[in-house]
Amino acid sequence: MCVWCEKYADGYQRWYFNPANYARKLYKVRKEEAEATGAEGSPMAAGGMALLTDEFLQAWDRKDYATVDKMKQDIEKLSWAAHFGQVVTLEDTLKVIDLLYPIAIMTCVCRRSMLGLPDEENFTCIGMGPGMYKWERWPNTYRGGVQFLTPEETKDIVTRLNKRGLVQTLFTFGTPYIGGICNCDYPDCAAIRTTLDFGVRTLWKGHHVAQVDRDLCNGCASCVHRCQFKALSFSPSQQKAYIDQFQCFGCGLCVTECPQDAITLVERASLPALADVW
Amino acid sequence: MLPKITVDDNKCNDPLSCRKCLLACPMHALGLGTKVGPKKFQEIPPEQFRVAGVRLERCTVCRDCVRVCPSGAIQVVYDGGAGK
Ligand code: SF4
Ligand code: SF4
Ligand code: SF4
Ligand code: SF4
Repeated sequence: MCVWCEKYADGYQRWYFNPANYARKLYKVRKEEAEATGAEGSPMAAGGMALLTDEFLQAWDRKDYATVDKMKQDIEKLSWAAHFGQVVTLEDTLKVIDLLYPIAIMTCVCRRSMLGLPDEENFTCIGMGPGMYKWERWPNTYRGGVQFLTPEETKDIVTRLNKRGLVQTLFTFGTPYIGGICNCDYPDCAAIRTTLDFGVRTLWKGHHVAQVDRDLCNGCASCVHRCQFKALSFSPSQQKAYIDQFQCFGCGLCVTECPQDAITLVERASLPALADVW
Repeated sequence: MLPKITVDDNKCNDPLSCRKCLLACPMHALGLGTKVGPKKFQEIPPEQFRVAGVRLERCTVCRDCVRVCPSGAIQVVYDGGAGK
């Protein structure tokens, strides 16, 4: 079972459907978090990447796995308490949008730091909850300003970003307070990258797993480019899509692109060996 | 062995509008930071932004970034293997 559901669902189907998790004070942990993540001056200050110090990279490079493991545990502990994400399907994201107010869209700090994406092309991050009323206090974080949205506008935007190929994720700001819907891709999202490249889990897998119906799949390969998690490939021998279900994050991006409806999302919990693979 | 990537901030003055190296790097190993930290509560002027190697373990030392930089600001040094 998802430990976040165990701790914070409080009777709701998933922890992120519990409205209480959107109602806490947003900036309570901000200060400690900034100090803990050593954000000063580091180009890696975006997302969890600031936590990967030079020391970590050096240890990684010399294959000193004992040190890497120790640092990894410390980073995860910090991230899970302050700021981590979980992949959510578009369907669940749309439901979440109905739970909270206000909602505002702003620029993505990850893609700004990795690609220098200009503000006008970079409005993909959605902040939500009472903390949004204070956005002016954080002009660098929210460079380009924020735009307040109605729930319907938010749903349209998220659906379009999903179509564009971006993965929906929910992020905590002082766990369990969920303060953002991010729309992410590899390799420019710091959380996806930290998680995939180093196994430092700042992004958790979602509650679903994708499954290919081999009878329905006609081998058109239109799904293959959708996966941001290196889980989906194409089997030349079978001429069908192949999903590594241990690697699948359950985002559902491949599902929406299949013209045959050959891919379905099943509940992670329905596959006993995957129920605890997050 | 990790490569060393150095960017001369005096030569690279407005990376936010140039960003050629960021877009050229096949491994997305470079990143953009600021000289003054995240500076909450105030805007950061463009000249305070800087380029740095942020994912050195992914750099292949292809030096595409060096070639594409109009101001010769980037140096990539590698002491291991044959790619000096
Ligand atoms: S898009 Fe659908 S039909 Fe085409 S390869 Fe992928 S799963 Fe098969
Ligand atoms: S296989 Fe499909 S559902 Fe799984 S992570 Fe990749 S795109 Fe998302
Ligand atoms: S040398 Fe090549 S891989 Fe390394 S940072 Fe420059 S462009 Fe990227
Ligand atoms: S290409 Fe050169 S001048 Fe342009 S941003 Fe990169 S380092 Fe700066």
